[in-house]
Amino acid sequence: MYRLHLASRYTFQRPVSYLAMVAIGLAVMALIVVLSIMNGFLEETRSFLRGTTADIVVFPHQIQFAYSREALEDAVAEHPDVRGACARLVRPAIFKVYGRAPVLHGNSRDAAQHQVLVLGVDAEAEIAVTDFSEYLANVETPLFRVADPERPFHLPIERIRDLEFKFANAPTVLVSEEMLSGLLLRPGDALNLVTVPDSALQLDGQPVKPASQTFLVAGAYRTGHYNHDQATVYISHKDFVRWTGTQHQVSELYVSVDEGADLDRVRDELDAKLRDIGMVSTVETWEDRHRIWLGAVENERNILLVIFFFFLLLVCTITFSVLTMMVQQKVRDIGILSAMGAPAGGVGGVFATCGIYIATLGGVFGLVAGIALASNINAVKDFIEDTFDIEVFQKEVYAFTEIPVALDHQWNAAIAGATVVGAVLICLLPAFRAARMDPVEALRHE
Amino acid sequence: MSDAVLPADPGTQAAETRAAAEPVLSARGLVRVYRIAQQRLEVLKGADVDLFAGESVAIMGRSGAGKSTLLHALGLLDRPDEGSLVVRGVESTRLSKPARARLRNKQIGFVFQFYHLIPELSALDNALLPRRIEFGPFAWAGERREAREKARALLAELGLGERMGHRPSQLSGGERQRVAIARALVSEPTLLLCDEPTGNLDERTSGVIADLLFEISEKRDHTLVMVTHDAELARRADRGLQLHEGRLEPLDA
Ligand SMILES: Nc1ncnc2c1ncn2[C@@H]1O[C@H](COP(=O)(O)OP(=O)(O)OP(=O)(O)O)[C@@H](O)[C@H]1O
Ligand SMILES: [Mg+2]
Repeated sequence: MYRLHLASRYTFQRPVSYLAMVAIGLAVMALIVVLSIMNGFLEETRSFLRGTTADIVVFPHQIQFAYSREALEDAVAEHPDVRGACARLVRPAIFKVYGRAPVLHGNSRDAAQHQVLVLGVDAEAEIAVTDFSEYLANVETPLFRVADPERPFHLPIERIRDLEFKFANAPTVLVSEEMLSGLLLRPGDALNLVTVPDSALQLDGQPVKPASQTFLVAGAYRTGHYNHDQATVYISHKDFVRWTGTQHQVSELYVSVDEGADLDRVRDELDAKLRDIGMVSTVETWEDRHRIWLGAVENERNILLVIFFFFLLLVCTITFSVLTMMVQQKVRDIGILSAMGAPAGGVGGVFATCGIYIATLGGVFGLVAGIALASNINAVKDFIEDTFDIEVFQKEVYAFTEIPVALDHQWNAAIAGATVVGAVLICLLPAFRAARMDPVEALRHE
Repeated sequence: MSDAVLPADPGTQAAETRAAAEPVLSARGLVRVYRIAQQRLEVLKGADVDLFAGESVAIMGRSGAGKSTLLHALGLLDRPDEGSLVVRGVESTRLSKPARARLRNKQIGFVFQFYHLIPELSALDNALLPRRIEFGPFAWAGERREAREKARALLAELGLGERMGHRPSQLSGGERQRVAIARALVSEPTLLLCDEPTGNLDERTSGVIADLLFEISEKRDHTLVMVTHDAELARRADRGLQLHEGRLEPLDA
């Protein structure tokens, strides 16, 4: 009993113990917050990628001949777990706003903004298989929305702004809302897309002649993912073929699968089947497709474990020095306790108990503070941004409007627990030293 | 053999009582050697002493003679290199460390020159410390309360009734030494070992503390051993011993 009694006095009457508790707490808190944000990023990234990627994507190997779109779609749709499949044509292009200089300021930054991935899609199939209709509905400015979400590429004649194109029956394009507002464009405006046509590729040794085509903006879409939206435009499948003169009907096949089906199994079965019928393709699940990205976020989370190890070392160093200092300052008391008949184990126990108090309270403080801060991180962010007028979180960089947070209580408990255990264990060293001290020498200590 | 340590005044009644009774502590041939680097410093070279119930003994000797060393050995705080030390019929040199700690807790009370109170504890908690050490985690609440009442009574008796909640730093030297005396008495030990208990106090306070020690040990039948440089004080003890050349000799009056 005197152990608890003395230990609480020793611990709570010295400011340095509070300092040690705060240090332990801050370490635990920082780790919990960082881990929660990383988990949040991973979760958000996964759910975002899940939303903008089909469950499974098929990339046909069309070396000798072009695969038939219907044949490929049918072959895939035959699989019992497949809900639907839609073919897309994909091609990189540079674009130029009609009537403006090709590159705004002649610098590479603006030049980079003028290259896009053009997706040639069948609107009906796209709506059936992907979240396409949601992207159209997500557009925030009403003026930018397409006239008819069922027929997104349809541009009513009254929306065409340039008289020159009123009756030209020009093909249309869907541009992201961010790009439209960035370029000061509106539906009805015209832009040119330039690419290398397939016909040019067939003529060996001839200089390549690019294919330029004027498109009218039919409206905007918004996936919510900045990187995707800045560099992707949609045109209709039919216009794509006419513009590029391609022989191909499919660049990639987006496949949606019944919920709960094992994607890896479906992928392997589709792969085998397409091989059987002679339409050799690369088949990937959405996770395969983004494994580098997902792997990077996951890898960062694992690096956190390494950082945690160093935090643990830091915590142990702090507790060790605080306890060692305490023992050094309490040498005389150790002599007194021995003279009063306390056994060596009791003397050591007093200091070990001090360590337990400091470590446990520090750990609990860190756990509570960490969870509280992580749960309110966006409020804290807003407060800092408003108070100091700085931008802490650039949503353009992360593609999320808020800092994503996912609390994993098992991990939080493990972090706090491991820190407390580490700190307590390291405290046993100075406690052991106190226990082994010679009582007479301790009493004579100045 | 025991003749050597018997006092020089065999005529008195006290001496007769002592001869008849069993000593509460009996030390024979205590040797304590300090080794510093290559040097051997023999501080105790075969000290003998018998201490009887209820008597008071003053120990004198020049500075560095080994008085504190002897007291630490008698109080089971230090293990002598050679010799035997029987406390209440138990040969202490053969006991394990924890067993000696238990014996020390029950039978020995220390009072030091520099009080040696624990600064974080109140006067009452300091006085209670030996009992708290004695109690395991499962002591009766009643037993605890009893110990607390006892400590309170002792402090009140020593004139500290109003100062029980005060820390050592809030007390004067004399008051601190009284707390230390209360702490030494709280377990009702057989032996009260005082190492220059008045060495750090002014003359008047010294007198008061010395009076208290003699009075209390007489009243409660403790055996009082007091190391002192004060010949006046030594004369008030039942008998005096001198530590000289590592041995104890009767103090010539
Ligand atoms: N741990 C130690 N190591 C080496 N020598 C020591 C140690 N402790 C005590 N001594 C030596 O033993 C001798 C006796 O010391 P002790 O403290 O017992 O003397 P003392 O009689 O109590 O003196 P004083 O009257 O000044 O208190 C001294 O010479 C001291 O230097
Ligand atoms: Mg001394």
